[in-house]
Amino acid sequence: MSTGTIDRLQRQFENGTVLPVRRVRQLLSIVGFFVLWSLLVRFEVLGFGLFVGPEQALETLLSALGGAPMTEGGATIYAHAAFSTARVVVAVALAMVIAIPLGLLIGTSRSWEDALFPGLELFRPVPPIAWVPISLLLLPSFRSGVVFVVFIGAFFPILVNTIQGVETVDHEYVRAAESLGAESRQIFRHVIAPATMPSIITGVSIGVGLAWITVVAAEMVAGGVGVGYIIFQAYRLLQTDVVAVGMIAIGILGYVSAALVHRTGHRLNRWQEID
Amino acid sequence: MSEPQSVTETKTESEPTTRTDATGAIDIDHLTKIYDPKGEGVVAVDDMDLHIEAEEFVALLGPSGCGKSTVMNCLAGYLEPTEGDVLVDGDQVTGPDPKRGVVFQENRLFPWKTVQENVEFGPQMRDNIEDGRAQSILGEMGLEGFEDAYPSGLSGGMQQRAELARLLANDPDIMLMDEPFSALDALTKEIMQKKLIEVWERDNRTVVFITHDVEEAILLADRVVVMTARPGQVKDVIDVDLDRPRDPEIVTTERFTELRERALSVIREEAQRALEQEESV
Repeated sequence: MSTGTIDRLQRQFENGTVLPVRRVRQLLSIVGFFVLWSLLVRFEVLGFGLFVGPEQALETLLSALGGAPMTEGGATIYAHAAFSTARVVVAVALAMVIAIPLGLLIGTSRSWEDALFPGLELFRPVPPIAWVPISLLLLPSFRSGVVFVVFIGAFFPILVNTIQGVETVDHEYVRAAESLGAESRQIFRHVIAPATMPSIITGVSIGVGLAWITVVAAEMVAGGVGVGYIIFQAYRLLQTDVVAVGMIAIGILGYVSAALVHRTGHRLNRWQEID
Repeated sequence: MSEPQSVTETKTESEPTTRTDATGAIDIDHLTKIYDPKGEGVVAVDDMDLHIEAEEFVALLGPSGCGKSTVMNCLAGYLEPTEGDVLVDGDQVTGPDPKRGVVFQENRLFPWKTVQENVEFGPQMRDNIEDGRAQSILGEMGLEGFEDAYPSGLSGGMQQRAELARLLANDPDIMLMDEPFSALDALTKEIMQKKLIEVWERDNRTVVFITHDVEEAILLADRVVVMTARPGQVKDVIDVDLDRPRDPEIVTTERFTELRERALSVIREEAQRALEQEESV
């Protein structure tokens, strides 16, 4: 291939005009993943001999989607997914309701920052999973315990990003608002809050991601129900096809919720688009 | 510093000619601003005196780092003088006030509000939005059709016009402008200068216009106040006795050249001094 052809192809690639080539490459990556999975199982690399191959996993997935119970006499994949989702939604909503106002308060007021932030900073480095035992002990039921752990997972990213968002608001906007006659309450509503919105959205999307990680871990320990519970339960019973289905379900749920947050954030921050 | 005092005197003489209902007179009285008074204080402005008539157009001209922006921030009420006072119509400036509107060098339109919401911001703060007023001001600024656009979708010149529109919608007595056109290309700048003079002549506002562009200062202002290198003081006050309206071609006239040379020689002297100051540090 002459350099001219390479240059042309590269240019087309950069312009996105050789879409088919990109699509093929993307498809190859997915196919490659399944081939690799299949090979690892077939040649029993490491402990893969014990694990299910993609064909059987797909079969179990289809029957699960058809409404077959995940464990003998147990709930369907939909019920487990709904439970995990409900925990994430409740925990993230709680985290938002508490962390956003708290972050705005800490970010705008030095005295509140001094009064609250050092205490919160003590807990921030503790991974959410480490909260599992204490929350199971302290809270009335295992279910509320799981929600609390997930809440911890979502809380800190939202709090920290909100504080940082407030603190990085360009002070010149505040001055401009003052010179236009705005009082401090109006400045908060019309300047600080909207200027902080992109950081809040970033915090929420990190929080949602962490919430999914945390919910699975917490359910493994103390779920009774939920996708994390079913993954671990199936592992104990060596039903590796169910383990695979649970992993796929979590992947899909995480992906969909991230997309939802992204879309909502996009709508709230339309002004950031440059056209 | 004897020049500033002589200026104040000449202004006292002309005071009777001022209309009594005119608002927006500014008195800068022994203004001193020292940054970080506890550490090694940097004197940005040193004992500056200046009187600006109501409805006058004054340009503050000086080398960079001469304290022009500090003076502006004190006028806006963003900074508190270390010593001395800033008075507007006899009242001490204690903080920002919608009577003193500010246009910044880089536009400070709220990026999360549309152009119209930006223009209506001041009236909205006082629950005083009049239907159609924003549109008519935007129309005057040549921004019709952009009401619902966000600032990020506008060109630099349009953003600056929108910011001017936002200021006008608030109907301030005084317009404080800190190098408002310095980031614009030559043609856009010329259009903006013309617009500014148009509004100023019609609405009877006081304008304090900071610039480092000698020609711009002379073209626009009634008086050009040349500042010294840091610490800032008034070095020279040039009365611009050119008839209005002033076309851009006026820069080729003999009188304009004389005024420019006078301003430039003062600035050169100060720039040289600033350089020596830096070297001696």
